[in-house]
Amino acid sequence: MAKKFVLAIVSSGAEKLTAGGIILSGAVAQDMECKVFLLLGGAYGFRKDFAEGHREVGDANLKTEEFLEGIKRANVPHWLEFYKKAKEMGNVKFYLCGTAGKIWKSAEKDDFYLVDQVCGIGEYITSAEEADLSVII
Amino acid sequence: MTEQELREIKADKVVDARGTSCPGPLLAAKRSIADVPVGGIMEVLSSDPGTNRDIPLWAKKMGYEYLGTLEEPGYWRIFVKKTK
Repeated sequence: MAKKFVLAIVSSGAEKLTAGGIILSGAVAQDMECKVFLLLGGAYGFRKDFAEGHREVGDANLKTEEFLEGIKRANVPHWLEFYKKAKEMGNVKFYLCGTAGKIWKSAEKDDFYLVDQVCGIGEYITSAEEADLSVII
Repeated sequence: MTEQELREIKADKVVDARGTSCPGPLLAAKRSIADVPVGGIMEVLSSDPGTNRDIPLWAKKMGYEYLGTLEEPGYWRIFVKKTK
């Protein structure tokens, strides 16, 4: 039986979205059953009218320009590509926090990239409780 | 395996992931192992230093056999046997 991984994304900073995508990729490589929950800032990051052009870091101690130069030098793709590829390659489901959706745009999953289902916090808590590995970023 | 034995391997599948950063080579390995017959060998070419540890750990986790790594100028050749 596959091990379960839960990733909760609460930040919209490009460096954290990138880190989350890399961690998710590692879980997919090990055939884990993955659930990604887009909470507040994370939901904002995945908005269809925002995500593709979004490259700004969120941590005040980091510099976006330095980050962009670094990912170009290291040939690291835009953060959204990690999540798209993970979903394509593995058993990955994306959940949008309904409240976050309503705050930023709507509670319609089609307004956000990759979302399979809108959920309440109970689903996140249950999933995190049942997971073998749970990460919040 | 000895370096000589690794150099003599004719891999069933060669995955060239040079130029990509982690997790690129790892995902390339995961995708490509499906094309390798059971008992066959996959060779991953990677210029990412973290992959040297990642692929052996991944192979162990997935139940495959890590055969060894050869260092070449600017990249590594990592050999994995698909055992199941």
